[in-house]
Amino acid sequence: MKVWVWADVTPDGPAPSALELLTKARDLGDEVAAVALGPGAKASTDALGEHGAQTVYASDDEVFTKHLAQPAVHALAGLVEEHQPDLILFPASYDARDVAGRLQARTGSTLMANATDVLSPDKARTEILGGTKIVDVELKGPAPKLVLIRPQSFAAEPSGGTAEVVEVKADAPDDLKKAERLERHEEEASGPRLEDAKVVVAGGRGLGGPDAFEQLEKLAAAIGNAAVGASRAAVDAGWVPYSFQIGQTGKTVKPEVYICAGISGALQHMVGMKGAKRIVAITKDPDAPILKIADLGVVGDLFKVVPALTEEIEKRRAGS
Amino acid sequence: MAVVLFVGRVRPRVALVANARPAGRGAPTPDRITREITHVFLQKKLLQKLGPGLMHAFIFWGFIVLLPTIAEAAVAIVDKDSSLPILGDASWFAFVSDVFATLVVVGVAMAFFIRKVLKPDRFRGSHMEEADRILLLILAIVVTFLLWNASRIGFGIAEVPDARPVAHLLSNLFSSGEGTEFAERVLVWAHLLVILGFLVFLPGSKHLHIATAPANVWLAKDGPTGRLEPNRIDLELPEEDIRFGVATQKDLSRKQMLDLFSCTECGRCQEVCPAWATGKPLSPKLLIMDLRDRVVAEAAGEVELQPLVPNAVTDQVVWDCVTCGACVRECPVDIEHVDTIVDLRRNLVMAESRFPQEAAPMLRGVESQENPWGQPASARLDWAKDLDVRVLKEGDPAPEVLFWVGCAGAFDERAQKTTQSVARLLAAAGIDSAVLGPREKCTGDPARRMGHEYLFQMLAEQNVETLNGAGVTKIVASCAHCFNTLANEYPDYGGTYEVVHHTQLLSELIAAGRLQPRTGDGKITYHDACYLGRHNGEFDAPREVIGGEIEEMPRNRERSFCCGAGGARMWMEEESPRINDTRFEEAAATGAETVATACPYCLVMLDDAAKGKSSDIRVADVATLLAESTAIDPR
Amino acid sequence: MNVVVLTKWVPEPEGTPTLGDDGLLVREGADGALDPGDEYGLEAALQLVEAAGDGEITLLTMGPEVAHAALQRGLAMGAHKGVRITDDSLRGADSLVTARVLAAAIGRQEFDLVVGGVESTDGYTGTVSAAIAELLGLPSLTFARKLEVADGSLKAERQTAAGYDVVTAPIPALVTVTAGATEPRYPSLKGVMAAKSKPVEMLSVSDLGLSSEDTTATQKVAEVSDAPPKQGGETIDADDTTPARIADLLAEAKVI
Repeated sequence: MKVWVWADVTPDGPAPSALELLTKARDLGDEVAAVALGPGAKASTDALGEHGAQTVYASDDEVFTKHLAQPAVHALAGLVEEHQPDLILFPASYDARDVAGRLQARTGSTLMANATDVLSPDKARTEILGGTKIVDVELKGPAPKLVLIRPQSFAAEPSGGTAEVVEVKADAPDDLKKAERLERHEEEASGPRLEDAKVVVAGGRGLGGPDAFEQLEKLAAAIGNAAVGASRAAVDAGWVPYSFQIGQTGKTVKPEVYICAGISGALQHMVGMKGAKRIVAITKDPDAPILKIADLGVVGDLFKVVPALTEEIEKRRAGS
Repeated sequence: MAVVLFVGRVRPRVALVANARPAGRGAPTPDRITREITHVFLQKKLLQKLGPGLMHAFIFWGFIVLLPTIAEAAVAIVDKDSSLPILGDASWFAFVSDVFATLVVVGVAMAFFIRKVLKPDRFRGSHMEEADRILLLILAIVVTFLLWNASRIGFGIAEVPDARPVAHLLSNLFSSGEGTEFAERVLVWAHLLVILGFLVFLPGSKHLHIATAPANVWLAKDGPTGRLEPNRIDLELPEEDIRFGVATQKDLSRKQMLDLFSCTECGRCQEVCPAWATGKPLSPKLLIMDLRDRVVAEAAGEVELQPLVPNAVTDQVVWDCVTCGACVRECPVDIEHVDTIVDLRRNLVMAESRFPQEAAPMLRGVESQENPWGQPASARLDWAKDLDVRVLKEGDPAPEVLFWVGCAGAFDERAQKTTQSVARLLAAAGIDSAVLGPREKCTGDPARRMGHEYLFQMLAEQNVETLNGAGVTKIVASCAHCFNTLANEYPDYGGTYEVVHHTQLLSELIAAGRLQPRTGDGKITYHDACYLGRHNGEFDAPREVIGGEIEEMPRNRERSFCCGAGGARMWMEEESPRINDTRFEEAAATGAETVATACPYCLVMLDDAAKGKSSDIRVADVATLLAESTAIDPR
Repeated sequence: MNVVVLTKWVPEPEGTPTLGDDGLLVREGADGALDPGDEYGLEAALQLVEAAGDGEITLLTMGPEVAHAALQRGLAMGAHKGVRITDDSLRGADSLVTARVLAAAIGRQEFDLVVGGVESTDGYTGTVSAAIAELLGLPSLTFARKLEVADGSLKAERQTAAGYDVVTAPIPALVTVTAGATEPRYPSLKGVMAAKSKPVEMLSVSDLGLSSEDTTATQKVAEVSDAPPKQGGETIDADDTTPARIADLLAEAKVI
């Protein structure tokens, strides 16, 4: 059983997702390989090998980051035709989704997205309806089966081992190089917009003033892919601009996790975040309405809890 | 010739009104007749402000009484020794006209005192010079009248010289010689010429109100001011045949046109407008004046016919309104500013889709989930989960009273307490009641006040179908807006029920001994909800439910200051200083520890204000206060 | 500037849809609407066409009769015409079948741009657009939060985890637009009325020249079970273990 992993790589090394997927791949097949295209690929091969890749099909060519999706798909499709893998695991990054979707169109393979687990090379699992139902899906159709895995579904564990590196030719024809990346911008405080963020950290009246929002920014930065928002009370008080406002007359957010501090939970606000999959509320008021809808409600001093939480997350990121 | 000029100048105004869409009112009803008498002849609304009211009353009554004296003067011009039949020799008439002429002088003096010495802020934006000219012309008319009579007395040709006290006094200025004979001629001519000149000046000035105001009062709405008249939308018709509110002046009704020509720029509306009071650009007076000026300019061909928003008034001004009706209540000539504002909104929303974007989620919610917060209908009974409440299912027999919970009462956690209190109190009083639960849809009030008449129409029709299908005859509503819409507006859509507000029902039950009156100490103040109080005349029932002494706010009852949520403004952003904060400060200044409310919007707005100021003052509905004191605890 | 906008009717976007016995979402008879995610794409398309001064927007959707409501909404917002593909064989179509069907429909007309939302509210697969782009041989700019067209090429800000990239592609191209991109307009009543007389074409699988093989799904729901009830609704007093508790929840949600 040939199981491949599409590895996201950067000059800083492989993305954590690559190592996690490789760990899982080892359970599913006996021939495990990784495909790493773009600057940093060759430098990542050691780590990829340590986590189970017996082969790494790699290319450091800039074309794979300079042009969106198509050159990578071209190279991947060529590899697929040559080596005929049974299953390919993709991470949920934006680029990987594009590659997987395009590959699917070329090979007529089945593509399952948002998988939380892969039970066998032809069965994967996901959750729907707000996480209340688990659905197991049979993957049929021609090889390779394609599965997009939700972030942090598996833990990365090295198995020792080294990978054989196979150079991949970057020979995509010009008409596949039409979509181009011109500039990269890193925004320190808030990467994604509120509406797109996977995690939203929001502050309300309980913050007492604009300064406390810095704490929330730090927390958001520690979590990553998180945005900072506010309740109407904080905006009305002039602590943060209107663009931060979440609620009936502000933005509607649907993050995976909504962490709020010092927000009581007026209906006007809840309307803007009721789509959150999980809610963590930190407030000093044990009667605050928000606690009724929180998955985890914490009654305490946000000025202690928030920094402590930031520290804990930073520790976990650095450590494990 | 003056008459010709007058007719020529007034005709375009008349044409504007006559060519406008008929208002569909005007039939003489007892209310209409009563109102005409009290508002016009008895100057009831003017006397809401005593000083300025008397000032105007003197001038107005004087004008009425002195009307025959114009004929008197005309006759005397032709033949100085002739006089009017009957009245000419009547001492009582001479006396009365003398006294009233003097009162007019007093009135004018008062007017100048108010305008030049007191200088109230309500005149900001009004045309003061025009007003001065009018007052001076009035003064000239009565002074020439008095002096003319004085000269006749002096010269000895007065018919009933002793009947005119003031003229008699003034006659000392005149000798009995030739000079006076000449003066008498000059004065009678002057008197008549001033009057004729005034006549010519009249149509182009706000003094036209003497003709338009009585008609405007006549055409004012009968019934509670909270009712908006329907603007039916039939989507089957071709677009050109549907009226989407008011876009240009061609869409104004006769009443709306008359409104524009009745305004005297007195500013009483401006003075009480919550938006204006908190620094927003909306002033009802300026709105009417700006519409008027634009209409006149377009009719005269000076500018092209254009949509009134933004060419006469800005979008912001139209959206600032909370529809509280304070302006309408104060207006001495019964201008209905709110109706025109909503009509302008109807066009902005339905034809242009041009409105504050933050209100879009509310419209979407009302459209898709039939409530402004977009919550699922199944959650409408969440408040009842620990209570034994009958839910009226299809086919069930109708209850004695249907408890209409409303969207706020169902979904807002603060308003839910009110709902629970009302339910408990109804049960304690043994009332046979039920709720519609998920079958209840928004009454449509927020959509209608926003201007989305079609959305309102659909909801009204659907709710009426549900209510009629269930055989409902009596409804109690715990929200002032639901109450107003169900009671006053649903009959236009086939739904006529006996509708009471929860404070009315509770007050009745207390009076009948079915509920214990409230006891408790601590100072309480009561905030009159606009849609219960001013718009529907109910000020006493909530106070009876509270019982005991109430620390009244300066602006209470008909003069209550809005909480700021009406006119769909609950779903719009407001700039500081905010209306709810302003009202809360007024409430706090009474020294009360509790602010009692009778509407969930007032509850939320004032509670938000309290929390914003970190105040310990509690804001609670009268039902909650009653339930607590009778040990029916909603908590 | 002619744009094809991909739209989907989804059941209960604000509430919770229900599953049928076959493990598929119940669509018929359910309350639903135009996928809110697609409104962002449509709004972006409307703005581009307005800026260009002329051009047409065609809404494309695949679905049963209820899907007509999604088209009506889009037409009310300002789109010019609609195309709905409906066929019994398409019930239970997976993302690849959907992509093939939509690509075939798009291929039947002239276009400068294909616009879609990032992922649907009911399926949130998020790969259909990429597959369509591949089938049509188009470059694609996905996760765009700001778009402009100038001199025959498209420029966009593409959302990334760390911020955004500026990306470009020549027209014709495919774009997917994120929720943060713009505020979709609320249709006026006049728009709703006008929508009724805008043309809507209906197509079947055979109209598109697809074979039954093309429309055979390659996934099948094997089993649906209830997830273990969420530990939801727990309130704790803050203490030293709290940061770890919260971090655990974040880990469980796979965001750290």
